[in-house]
Amino acid sequence: MELLKKNKIATGALCILAIAGLCAYVFQLMGGLGVTGMNNGTSWGLYITMFMLFVGLSAGGLIVASSASVFHIEKFKKVALPAVVLSTVCICVAGLFVLIDLGGVYRIWRIFTGPNFMSPLLWDVCVIVCYLIINILYLYFMCSQKADPKKVAVISRFALPIAILVHSVTAWIFGLQISREGWYSAIMAPIFVASAMDSGLALLLISLVALEKAKLIKLGRDLMASLAGLLATCIAVDAFFIGCEILTVAYPQTAGGAQLLGEMFSGATAPFFWFEVAAGLIVPFCILVFAKNRQRTGLVMGASVLVVLGVLCKRIWLLFTSFIHPNMAGAPGISSGSSVAAHSSGIDIWSTAGSYVPTPVEILVVLGVISLASLVYLALVSKLIEGGKVAVSTAAASEAQAS
Amino acid sequence: MAKLGMAINLFRCIGCNTCVNACKMQNSVPMGMHWNRVLTEGCEVFDGAEGTYPNLTRTYIPLACQHCENPACLRVCPTGATYKDDKGRVEIDYDKCIGCRMCMAACPYNARVFNWSEPVRDPDFNYGDKDVPVRPKGVAEKCTMCKERTDRGEEPMCVMCCPTEARVFGDLDDPESAISKFLGEKSTFVLLEEQGTRPQVRYFK
Repeated sequence: MELLKKNKIATGALCILAIAGLCAYVFQLMGGLGVTGMNNGTSWGLYITMFMLFVGLSAGGLIVASSASVFHIEKFKKVALPAVVLSTVCICVAGLFVLIDLGGVYRIWRIFTGPNFMSPLLWDVCVIVCYLIINILYLYFMCSQKADPKKVAVISRFALPIAILVHSVTAWIFGLQISREGWYSAIMAPIFVASAMDSGLALLLISLVALEKAKLIKLGRDLMASLAGLLATCIAVDAFFIGCEILTVAYPQTAGGAQLLGEMFSGATAPFFWFEVAAGLIVPFCILVFAKNRQRTGLVMGASVLVVLGVLCKRIWLLFTSFIHPNMAGAPGISSGSSVAAHSSGIDIWSTAGSYVPTPVEILVVLGVISLASLVYLALVSKLIEGGKVAVSTAAASEAQAS
Repeated sequence: MAKLGMAINLFRCIGCNTCVNACKMQNSVPMGMHWNRVLTEGCEVFDGAEGTYPNLTRTYIPLACQHCENPACLRVCPTGATYKDDKGRVEIDYDKCIGCRMCMAACPYNARVFNWSEPVRDPDFNYGDKDVPVRPKGVAEKCTMCKERTDRGEEPMCVMCCPTEARVFGDLDDPESAISKFLGEKSTFVLLEEQGTRPQVRYFK
């Protein structure tokens, strides 16, 4: 709790935002999803974007921690604890956003009484629950009185494949839908794994540097530089996959492909696409590709923040571009087919192209959830690290001796 | 087992929207939603035309759930709320729908609409067939091929009300049915064939 008590203003602000978010959610429960900007044309919005983002953000932690034991990368071990805490909190946030997005959340038990095993959404529920359980077990084996490195080693052998699977299944929710030009692609799962790796690592770096600033952990230049090097590799892989996908859509010059890329390059989702390409991929890669820059905390932080924002933008263009143009084009279009149309009457309910603007309620809910998650993360990490501080300081001491 | 289907004559369709309103009345469809729409093909405005003057064409496409043999919406539903019934119709069990809208993302025809808020009707009562269930907020809904009417052996409301008799309805599995004989004579097509959904609603000109 040390971190929360030390930064009273920040803690207070986060509490207020979390409560505001809760109120906004209660308002949404009463009024239905009609209080959001979602509509019959763009039937998923900010919540699903955040779900995709946070599933990805949870990757970095668990992958770094479990690589430490699976691939015997000893230096990663000393950040394993804050990494797994980050991963646990992020996956809870992702699950929460799916629940918040449900229109009939009070009928959720139907998933357990009559599951349809063909549904990628059901796979996602299963794999997220598995992932969460593994995260919690991992934390337990690292922190409990009976902490056992052997058990950690066993669990990390399961953690790594499940981590890959959780991103793939999330990708398949979109990638298996033949109806959506921009989603239906075999490379969707690799893209999701790659963006999970880079955004997850970036968030991990940000949180580790912050914890070091708060004197909770000792990160060290070397470890930061090697994590940053891994981040640069992941950015390159992510960019490569996105390039493959775009070339494959563009090359046959089909009408649907041209329409989709038109929206991405110069249409409604273009700002997000170009931000991701420039600020989310090119700039951070050019910074981190030089070994000298990876030693400089400021530059690594800047690149990490850009990567997280870039991946957020990627989620946005990926999700929304495919909602813009219905396959069956023609006036009057879809009833309540855009955010404006959904709250209109008469002839204005029709829309020939999908559009979406989140409402203040949605934004408040999202801010609230993120604030709550930050509070939980700070509380957990300071509590668990306090408990394990002895171990960390001995590890640091032995490293200092070695060098 | 039966496989109910429909054939729509685009040459006969005059874009009067009677089927749109008949559907809305029969099924008590709330404000802001339609189970059945009539699109003016390739146009930004309703009743528009394609081409350059004087070489203009206009085609109306009545569009609702295609009751696919291979429905994309059915596969993705996590609770099995969407199902294929014994008459070959794609139906929704509203009690099972959790409102995840996976089906809306999966349907290539945008046939589904969602009860984003508590449904509003104007006039303020359930103007539909007495047997049609009312849907709560937070569930998806769409054309049921007038389940309540076709269960009683009647034609769907859009078929009955079409003033130009552009719609033919019947059992595709019964070789003696009017629609089977009709499809035997005509060359028909389905919408978005490349999506592989195999619609039971056919179109012809």
